[in-house]
Amino acid sequence: MRLTIYLYCAILFFASCDKIITLPLQDNEVKLVIEASITDQPGPYFVKLTRSINLNDINVYPVVENGTVIISDNTGIKDTLKYSKEGIYKTKLIQGVYGRTYNLEVNVDGKKYTATTTMPSKVNLDSLRINTFSINGENQYSIIPVYTDPLELGNSYQFIQRINDTLDNNYNIFNDNLNNGKINQRPLGRPNIDIVIKNLDLVTVEMRCISKATHLYFYTLSQQGGSGPGGGTAPTNLPNNINGGALGLFSAHTIQTKTIQIP
Amino acid sequence: MLLINRKYILLFSLGLMGLLQPLKAQEKTTVNGTVKDKMNGESIMGAVIKVDQLANVVVTSNEYGFFAISLPKGKYDLRIIYVGYEEKRIPITLNEPMSIPIFLESKNQLAEVVVESKRKDDNLMKAQMGTETLNMKSISRVPVLFGEKDVLKTIQLLPGVKSAGEGNSGFYVRGGASDQNLILLDEAPVYNASHLLGFFSTFNSDAIKDATLIKGNGPAQYGGRLSSVLDVKMKEGNNKNYIVNGGVGLISSRLSIEGPIQEDKSSFILSGRRTYADIFVKANEKFKDNILYFYDFNAKANYIIDDKNRIYFSGYFGRDELGLGTSFGINWGNKTGTIRWNRVMSNKLFLNTSFIYSDYNYDVSLKNGETKFNVNSNIKDVNVKQDYTYYFNPKNTIRFGFNTILHTITPSIFSGTVNNSVNKVGRNGLENAIYFNNNFKANQQLTLDYGLRVSAYTLMGGDVYNIYNGDEKTSSILLQKNAFGKTYLNLEPRITGNYRINELSSVKLAYARNVQHLHLLSNATASSPSDQWIGNSYNIKPELADQTSIGYARNFKNNTYELGAELYYKKMQNQLDYKDGTNINTIADVESALLYGMGRAYGFELLAKKKMGLVSGWISYTLSKAERKIEGINGGEWYNAKQDRTHDISIVSIVELNSKWSVSGVFVYYTGDAVTFPTGKYSFEGQTIYQYAKRNANRMPTYHRLDLSVTYENRNKNKRETSWNFSLYNVYGRENAYRINFQDDPLDKTKTQIIQTALFRWVPSITYNFKF
Repeated sequence: MRLTIYLYCAILFFASCDKIITLPLQDNEVKLVIEASITDQPGPYFVKLTRSINLNDINVYPVVENGTVIISDNTGIKDTLKYSKEGIYKTKLIQGVYGRTYNLEVNVDGKKYTATTTMPSKVNLDSLRINTFSINGENQYSIIPVYTDPLELGNSYQFIQRINDTLDNNYNIFNDNLNNGKINQRPLGRPNIDIVIKNLDLVTVEMRCISKATHLYFYTLSQQGGSGPGGGTAPTNLPNNINGGALGLFSAHTIQTKTIQIP
Repeated sequence: MLLINRKYILLFSLGLMGLLQPLKAQEKTTVNGTVKDKMNGESIMGAVIKVDQLANVVVTSNEYGFFAISLPKGKYDLRIIYVGYEEKRIPITLNEPMSIPIFLESKNQLAEVVVESKRKDDNLMKAQMGTETLNMKSISRVPVLFGEKDVLKTIQLLPGVKSAGEGNSGFYVRGGASDQNLILLDEAPVYNASHLLGFFSTFNSDAIKDATLIKGNGPAQYGGRLSSVLDVKMKEGNNKNYIVNGGVGLISSRLSIEGPIQEDKSSFILSGRRTYADIFVKANEKFKDNILYFYDFNAKANYIIDDKNRIYFSGYFGRDELGLGTSFGINWGNKTGTIRWNRVMSNKLFLNTSFIYSDYNYDVSLKNGETKFNVNSNIKDVNVKQDYTYYFNPKNTIRFGFNTILHTITPSIFSGTVNNSVNKVGRNGLENAIYFNNNFKANQQLTLDYGLRVSAYTLMGGDVYNIYNGDEKTSSILLQKNAFGKTYLNLEPRITGNYRINELSSVKLAYARNVQHLHLLSNATASSPSDQWIGNSYNIKPELADQTSIGYARNFKNNTYELGAELYYKKMQNQLDYKDGTNINTIADVESALLYGMGRAYGFELLAKKKMGLVSGWISYTLSKAERKIEGINGGEWYNAKQDRTHDISIVSIVELNSKWSVSGVFVYYTGDAVTFPTGKYSFEGQTIYQYAKRNANRMPTYHRLDLSVTYENRNKNKRETSWNFSLYNVYGRENAYRINFQDDPLDKTKTQIIQTALFRWVPSITYNFKF
């Protein structure tokens, strides 16, 4: 529920003015960023190592080329990744299999970082449906991913929406704290103001079955607003599953994609 | 524990000190009475009754105007004093117990004092510390946002009280959180005291008589919250004449009617208010489906059964509606009801019995094509209270009584096409308290007010209570319906003392322990209707606060100027927060995500008032610190609470130009809130994600603002009064930061853009008020 956002919109209707400001530069501790994922699609899978930068810097993230990256699983397969380019390391052996547990070990400049994750079972994305409603006399559309949540509690999902190839950078992070064991009826959030789903648009939805740790990471991200009395929760570094003090996440998830056209 | 024991020994001996004295005295008899306003019959609280022949006898009237004095038989002159009223002298011959009604006549004065004392040098007399009373009549000229006079916004201009943000009626007292304020409307707790996300308070000033704020060192009859009590009292209704009062503003209009049912015996008041911003919004085709309004309704009636019994009924009903056609809606509101029965039990003993009901609920509905669901949450109280005032002798006024509250708290429950996966039910809790408080005037110099409140909170059955050790659930307790679970018992000693150094100055000292059994889990800083209340449980212990304060008060120039300084230190235990990434509305058991810790707050407050004359007003300054330390947040280190503002200044000035025109101004300046800005950034799946260091180590920009207002009043012969109020909020149009956002620059994605949002620049308003 983007309740608070809606409420703010209602209030901001009265007045409100935005301006771009600068803030004094703060000390930032440079941290290793690990972006690692294993999916149920055929490999190779990639691990990207970069470093965080100061807030006022240009978004060019230094890459780490001298790391060693090992992924192993609970069947005894151990895969030492090969450096490719731009901070990316590639797997050779490891396979993404439902229910399998994966261990990541990264060594950079004598420091060791570890993470563990388990690939959840796949919940089938049966289809996409169009949800039509009217606001201020105009037809509005949102997409309902149709899937049946398993009876057991604890499933988490991430949905990534593209409207005619434009990525909607809102986070649609679901879990079964609501509607456990039922056919999903929740629509994805409407994309942000810049992108509106119109007639004849092609909407592509990628559904990922994710672990609890991945859910926590992205849900926390989706809750972080700005700062100040009108700003929501006090933000912190996103909670992740990496030991050793690195940023980022090690995620094992499933991927399914479907496309629908608005009539 | 040893410390506490010592305190009790001290209290006990003080108690004896006060009570044993009268044994020596000669045969006494009692005069009692009720102080009322002659014009409208409203009872007057806090009127001072003195006896000319006995310099050290001073008694004040209670909430219902009642007082009693025991004196040796003889002839006396009683003198009744209350600011804004003509002083009255009544000669009596006291041979047997007697009862006298007292009617005071309001002075026809020009200047109204905004924060008023009962007596010109009342501040030097009373033991109470950190207490201010606002009279509704007198706050009418303080400029406010949208021209809607508002008690919650006016108290934010007092030292030690901070606003929860631009235009917000939420407030923080002495470093406490917003849920640590007990807001009472005719004794009924109001769980969400704001309309329209805080831009208006639930209190319609036409229906309110006065409001008293006690900043943590309250007498023992108050309890249940850590930081403050805001005791708001509704008008009783004029029992002499019918009066219609109203106002028309740009945002809202209000109307109230009051008058006698039977003259001098019973009266009523009805007030209503509604905003109509939505009508303007709907005029625009683009927004025609938008819904945005609130309304509220106050009603009160009282009936004097005989000279010993009086009964009051009061109620409040308010509702906010926000929505988008039928596709989205959120509405929330409070309902309260109070029945009170005043009874003069004997000529020295006054009893008030109250039956109180309070209900706050919110409902979110979403109808998005085929998705249809509601989210409901509710907190309900049924409350019985008996409060005795015993005028033991001229030196000791004792209050004692009990209070029993049954709380029913229902967390957010989904229904429709979206349902909770784990069934949620409401929980009950029983809050009981007994108390004793004595106001002891030791001598001309020393006054002590001390007491003890014993509070108990008992978990009640009907739900499963899980017990957690950190993240891990260690056991579950199923409490059967109507069964009682764990009881938390707490002792809450309080003492305040006032020592009058000389005619012009006094020093004050106070200590109090306060206990809170209900806790608010809040997502955002601004009050949101979907914030969740939760009671104590096996994991959640009562919050405790110990506050010590010391003060100095001095008056100048025949009590025209008043200066007060207070220092306080407050330690808070069992404070609550929850883990990052918790959705408190959907989580199966919110207790699995809670974090516990402590807080501390200390500060210095200065208040200088000019109470009389053509120019009146006050300057308030607060220097303070508020911190929290919670396991699992900020590495378990102390961090700034969000409401930590180092400096906070308010200047309020009202100038009476002549009998028709007056000008007033408010200037506010404070250090920006403690916030957490990112220190760095990184990239993940192509998105920019921010890196943070310490919690709340940054500051919003400094806030300051000037508001001005001009009032034109016209009174004609047949009692008809009209007034026009023109006000301008934020006169110099400063863009005060409401929110600061970080995002990729849309024009150059390699850069980070920092955007500051300001809510209001200039907000003009015009209000027309009438009374006939």
